[in-house]
Amino acid sequence: MSDITNRGYAGKILHLKLSTLEYEVIPTEKYVEWGGGNGMGTALYWDFCEDKTIQDGRDEKNVVVIATSPLCGTATPSAGGRCEIVGTACGLYPESFFSRSNIGGRLSSMMKYAGWDAIVISGKAPKPVWVEIQNSLVRYHSAEALWGKDAHETQLRLFGILDRKNEGWGWQPLPGKGAGDSGYTTQIPAIAAISQAGERLQTMAGILHDAGNISGQGGFGAVWGSKNLKAISVLGTGAVKAADPAALIRARFKVKERYAPDVQKPDLLAWSFLSYPKPIAFAGDYDQSRRSACVGCVMGCRQRFSTGVGNQVKCQASAWYLAYIKKYAKKHPEEIDLNNEKQIVEISNYAADLCNRYALNTYLFQHALPWLEGLWHRGLLGKGKQVPSELDFDKLGSKAFVKEFCEAFAFRKDIGALFGDGFVHGVIKLGLEEDYKNGTLDFPYWGIQEHGYDPRAEVEWGYASILTDRDVNSHEFNQLYWNISIYTLMGLKPRISAEKLVHLIAEKLKPYVDGPECMDFSEENIYSDAVLNLTRWYIHYNRFWKNSALFCDLRWANLFHSRGDDAGNEGATGDPEVGEQVYWNAVTGENISIVDGLKRGYRVIVLQNAIWALQGRHRDKVHFADFIYEKPFEKGEFPFYMWTVRDKEGKWRYGDIMHRKLDREKFEDFKTRYYLAEGLDPKTGWPTEETLKKLKLDFAIDELKEHGKLPESNAS
Amino acid sequence: MQNSEPKFGGMDRRTFLKVLAASGVTATAGAAFMLPGTNLMVMPNSKGYLVVDMAKCMGCVSCMMACSMVHHGESSLSLSRIQIQQDAFQKFPDDIHMAVCHQCEDAPCVNACPVEADHVDIVHGNIRTIDPDRCIGCTQCIDACPWLPKRLQFNPKTRKVQKCDLCANTPYLDEKGGPGGTQTCVKVCPVGAISYVEKMPKQHDPYAYNVNLRDKSWVEVGHTDKDFKLNEGKV
Ligand code: SF4
Ligand code: SF4
Ligand code: SF4
Repeated sequence: MSDITNRGYAGKILHLKLSTLEYEVIPTEKYVEWGGGNGMGTALYWDFCEDKTIQDGRDEKNVVVIATSPLCGTATPSAGGRCEIVGTACGLYPESFFSRSNIGGRLSSMMKYAGWDAIVISGKAPKPVWVEIQNSLVRYHSAEALWGKDAHETQLRLFGILDRKNEGWGWQPLPGKGAGDSGYTTQIPAIAAISQAGERLQTMAGILHDAGNISGQGGFGAVWGSKNLKAISVLGTGAVKAADPAALIRARFKVKERYAPDVQKPDLLAWSFLSYPKPIAFAGDYDQSRRSACVGCVMGCRQRFSTGVGNQVKCQASAWYLAYIKKYAKKHPEEIDLNNEKQIVEISNYAADLCNRYALNTYLFQHALPWLEGLWHRGLLGKGKQVPSELDFDKLGSKAFVKEFCEAFAFRKDIGALFGDGFVHGVIKLGLEEDYKNGTLDFPYWGIQEHGYDPRAEVEWGYASILTDRDVNSHEFNQLYWNISIYTLMGLKPRISAEKLVHLIAEKLKPYVDGPECMDFSEENIYSDAVLNLTRWYIHYNRFWKNSALFCDLRWANLFHSRGDDAGNEGATGDPEVGEQVYWNAVTGENISIVDGLKRGYRVIVLQNAIWALQGRHRDKVHFADFIYEKPFEKGEFPFYMWTVRDKEGKWRYGDIMHRKLDREKFEDFKTRYYLAEGLDPKTGWPTEETLKKLKLDFAIDELKEHGKLPESNAS
Repeated sequence: MQNSEPKFGGMDRRTFLKVLAASGVTATAGAAFMLPGTNLMVMPNSKGYLVVDMAKCMGCVSCMMACSMVHHGESSLSLSRIQIQQDAFQKFPDDIHMAVCHQCEDAPCVNACPVEADHVDIVHGNIRTIDPDRCIGCTQCIDACPWLPKRLQFNPKTRKVQKCDLCANTPYLDEKGGPGGTQTCVKVCPVGAISYVEKMPKQHDPYAYNVNLRDKSWVEVGHTDKDFKLNEGKV
């Protein structure tokens, strides 16, 4: 095999040993078999985390890995700029496990250009530090002066300290000022930073890069805070080499021609996110803006505004406070004009921007805030109440309220203090467990808020979330829910017939499934082997192509496609000219198929199951919150939840899959079959010795045995 | 390598060589000449130019990575001949700056080169380009370029300077590049923020290469088509 630096890898991994403020350089070679990202990060965690039994990421023994892929820093469509963060999370319920998070922007590409495939962070710095990386130069600096600053100000200050503000837009030598020889750049460093929330070990604290790329889930901001790590700044002048550069460019041209949005003829109703031509902004249009993209994206999903406020927010974050603003505007027209879209967007952006500054996970607020509002109306929240708080919920929807609300969480005061060690933990401590159980608080898995795609309807999302470690946040199937629901809402004729769609998708899932039955999400079929195998494909794809190769979740997988007048065509996934493997092979010089990648994803998830076993996971803990089994799903984004279903005559149609609950026993049986199919012990959910050997994960056997976590006998 | 005799009265050898260097072609040397009675060389105009829209670009740097890839077989922002600079904390439209070579009419970089490495390539549509075999890495061309950031790049590994050749010399591009062929950055840009034109933009106008490439369809996806006067960054 040729030198890995000629095929996508930088060749080195940086290990920051915070306790002694030293670092070491690890050759990447040993970890290449994992691809990159999630897989590489998991393998590094396994090797560098000495005590894998920890159940809270804020434990000093925790190890965090930031990992890139061979594709980072290349023009691979919507895969050049994602970055994976793994380690033991915090704030999950009943306890925290090894988990993952992912951010976009410029961080991973800059790491590659600086010569690093991954950064392993271990120990705890004696005092707050930030780390400067310029190519091979690595320096620790005191962060005393940055401690107490939010994640925006921290980065701006570091730009100043590093003398790399964009004033003048000139070429700068690296490393250091005027040092000459190692290269020149016109770019500013890529910085990842935590806010006051992370410093205060607030479990909903994330890590922010640039204005709005945040690692939201897992509480990794608090993990950095617990390690006294304020920020990492990376600037590089190097290159990522590809094994077959011409093949990469050829495929990039082709994907634009066939799949990426056409800006000259924007198809606002395109079926498939790969072709979606607008920024993903839910609060409305604000025309004094540009779109903003992660490195290498085929169509940016974020924006930057003439106000500078809300730069790079997107999707749910762009509108997490929107409904309250509108409600408030109705009561206070003198303050907010409901018909003034610009004003509404500005306030919504302001709320999103606050969450970016404080690097707070807006998804948590999506469901936590309505619940808190409910407590207020129930008379349980307020001064001297069961949930003591100074916040005035009559002002909910105003700018002043959102500021106070975010500050409470950022500074861990008021209600922010009550939930600082995990939201559900706080709920239980306050004596409100019933709300968690009965779904008044919509947190269905691992103490994490629901994403908008309820497990009782969109089962693949729910299954994959509970069978892994977090809200899976993986939209490959979910795209069809949006497409069909929007068409239904607008009364349009579906662009792709249900019959055609299920066949298009089933074709992509081979050999995991052998026909379109897997797309029948009717109540009778959701526990079937067909849906089980779809779920396995989904998890394996997620573990390799999405989070190890680092194809962006919003654009990939592309299982079906329609752009312009197309009636509906094959998606780009696995395509011999523009599929994920084409880019992977062009960069790495390998010759793998899409299925080979899925097998690698399988290996990653089994190793993660080994870590979870050491952390105390058992199949008995793998279940949804009670309400998922006890109450039908009635309230979503739309009054219906459209999906593909097959009727009694075997005909495919788009049908509403709302108004149902999951069956506990049937799900338990589904789990058993899932464990068996994955080579996990059905009694415990732990990997069996046989599976570990088969997947060449023998290195995990002894540690599992030592902790009594190797199942007695092989899967029955 | 090439004919060292001047073809036109009054043209000194050095200026003459700037035109011919690396091309090895003497027959078309008539494309450049000295203004009679002066020591000034008139360079044939480039047959193509890149113009950009700084308010349209989304900062994906795909153009930079692809530019470097087709020339060098590796993706590097430092080796890209187009430079996109951005700061996500700034306000639109000042958060992005795009820098392309102007293929200047009387290119200061060509004039500054002491060894005729930076030359007008008459085989490839009169692009201003650098012959790496001749370049001695003195960086005088970089100093001479009147724009910020400088539109030429110093490659610390080879210790040579390079610049945009409109993709004429691209070993890793399947298609024919150069004027009349493919410009990789133009073709790869997802939003059409770079355009190739044949008409020379007004020289000495610091805004002439920054044009408005937004139209109705851009408004349809939620953004403005307003004209902005965005600074090119003249030294
Ligand atoms: S490098 Fe500078 S001086 Fe030379 S042609 Fe380009 S813009 Fe003009
Ligand atoms: S035209 Fe070619 S050489 Fe010039 S900047 Fe674009 S990609 Fe680079
Ligand atoms: S490819 Fe286009 S949108 Fe992306 S950075 Fe270059 S000019 Fe801007």
